[in-house]
Amino acid sequence: MYKLESYEFFCPVKFSSGSRALENIPFELEALSARKPLIVTDKNVTRQGLVRKMINAFKDSGVTIGIFDSMPDMPDMQLVTELSNIYRNGEHDAIVALGCGSIVDVAKVVNIAVSYNVKILRDLAGDNLIAHPLGPFVLVPMLAGTGYETSKFAFIENLTFSSYFLMPDLVVIDSRTVRSESVQTTVATAMIALAHAAEAYTGPAKNPLTDTYAYAAIQYVKENLLTVLHKPRDRDGRLALANAASMAGCAFSNMKPGLVHILGEAISAMFHIPSGISMGVLLPYGLEYAMQKNGYHTNDLLFPLLDFDEYAGTAENLKAGKAVNIIYQLQQDLYNLTGGKIPRTLEEANIPKYMLDDIAEKVVRDGTKEFDIDDYRMVLEHAWEGKPMAHA
Amino acid sequence: MGDYRQVQAGSKPLKRAYIAVMLWFVGRAIQAAARVDKAVREEFEQLPEGFTFSLGVQPRGPHMIVGKNQRGRVKYLGWRPEGKVVDLRMTIKNLEAALLLFTFQESTAISICRDRIDFDGDLPPALTVIRTIGIVEVYLLPKLISKLAIKRYPVLPFGRKYLGRIRIYFRSILGY
Repeated sequence: MYKLESYEFFCPVKFSSGSRALENIPFELEALSARKPLIVTDKNVTRQGLVRKMINAFKDSGVTIGIFDSMPDMPDMQLVTELSNIYRNGEHDAIVALGCGSIVDVAKVVNIAVSYNVKILRDLAGDNLIAHPLGPFVLVPMLAGTGYETSKFAFIENLTFSSYFLMPDLVVIDSRTVRSESVQTTVATAMIALAHAAEAYTGPAKNPLTDTYAYAAIQYVKENLLTVLHKPRDRDGRLALANAASMAGCAFSNMKPGLVHILGEAISAMFHIPSGISMGVLLPYGLEYAMQKNGYHTNDLLFPLLDFDEYAGTAENLKAGKAVNIIYQLQQDLYNLTGGKIPRTLEEANIPKYMLDDIAEKVVRDGTKEFDIDDYRMVLEHAWEGKPMAHA
Repeated sequence: MGDYRQVQAGSKPLKRAYIAVMLWFVGRAIQAAARVDKAVREEFEQLPEGFTFSLGVQPRGPHMIVGKNQRGRVKYLGWRPEGKVVDLRMTIKNLEAALLLFTFQESTAISICRDRIDFDGDLPPALTVIRTIGIVEVYLLPKLISKLAIKRYPVLPFGRKYLGRIRIYFRSILGY
């Protein structure tokens, strides 16, 4: 084991996962002293019959539930105000977010609004300005996440709320709600989980507890992503991927953003491609960059990526390289399996080479100065060309 | 907002009725087995006088309550926990989990491992009760089914098993 320096870890999230996990929600809500939840979701989820499944899960509980299923694609603070009024007027005492992405972001911010008595919600945007626990919040994710659902972050308009109190009290991962999504959505969800988990596992904020979440997330993605793409009906595989996404969110909440995350988000914002796809392209290059600084941590990455015998049979000085090669191979397999729809390089993701400098400058301009601008440029150039750094 | 509505989720009367009947019968069978079977008697001897436990389904039941009175006799105390002092509360988290257990798709041990049952009380009595329910299931169910419900099927002499089964069924139906 590596030497332990000072670290902190906080994760208040209870996981409830399985083929009939939805039915546990009334029990868990009661444990949270909640009796009238408000379910927040969108029409797409309703069309898939998942709201009906949620209602069925509450049968026999005697609980009255409120349902709001008109989440727009681009929600704003006006919606948060309206939902807060619905919550108060409907005398609700818990929020259940059914879905992913903006549904969860809005649900989190509504929870701030109804738990805090502030006139201007925007004042609470920022780092750790939410200083006390919020109302009960349950997350029922699908397999179409942004990677932040379980995390301590919520994004709306141009605001970022960040607090451990935004992490859900309960995540319910049910194989009926993690249905087959498009190939690109499934890959994006899995790769953002893999990128966050790998950066938590190899990054400077690594500690034994982030390792636990990250290890499981990495292993589940490695073992299930290709299987699920081959066999979209594989319920167990989809459940494992959704678990990986939630676990990675917990690990991510306890680390400093890594280089892959930072660049991946910037590319996603500038070129409107899912951040999971951009992080998937950048991941092996980011890991190669990290190897130069803390190679011994990247050695460890091989452990969740290989079975034990192969790991034990690999010489210490080859472990990091082998781990990165497995990620390269995963990229290649995804590319082959999807007929080139999942890019291996930034060039294949249609990012113009002349924009690489702009991406690096945007990252620095936005205030993310964890890394040097030349480091950003170097990783971007390698990822654009598809040229491994180890062979540069 | 037009897209907001409140819903009362309704109920599952058939499933509830099935679980209620199962809990009622198992409760009475525990009482009967405590008089008929030596192993069950010995298990209950470990529990203090006046000890009461319940097994039920959240949030609205059904339940079964079984207790050992001051004279050491084990009694089925009905299906309403209200007003009773219960030392060990075993709660199946929902009706679907109860169905898995009482249709023997999942053994008691697996059900506990999968966090489908919540315990409120001390661990040693809880383990005693689980072992007792296991023995009772051996008496009540054909081997093929009870093997699904318990960890390991015990070797019982022919006479003890079949005579015991008849006596436990008889006493459970008559309620003594």
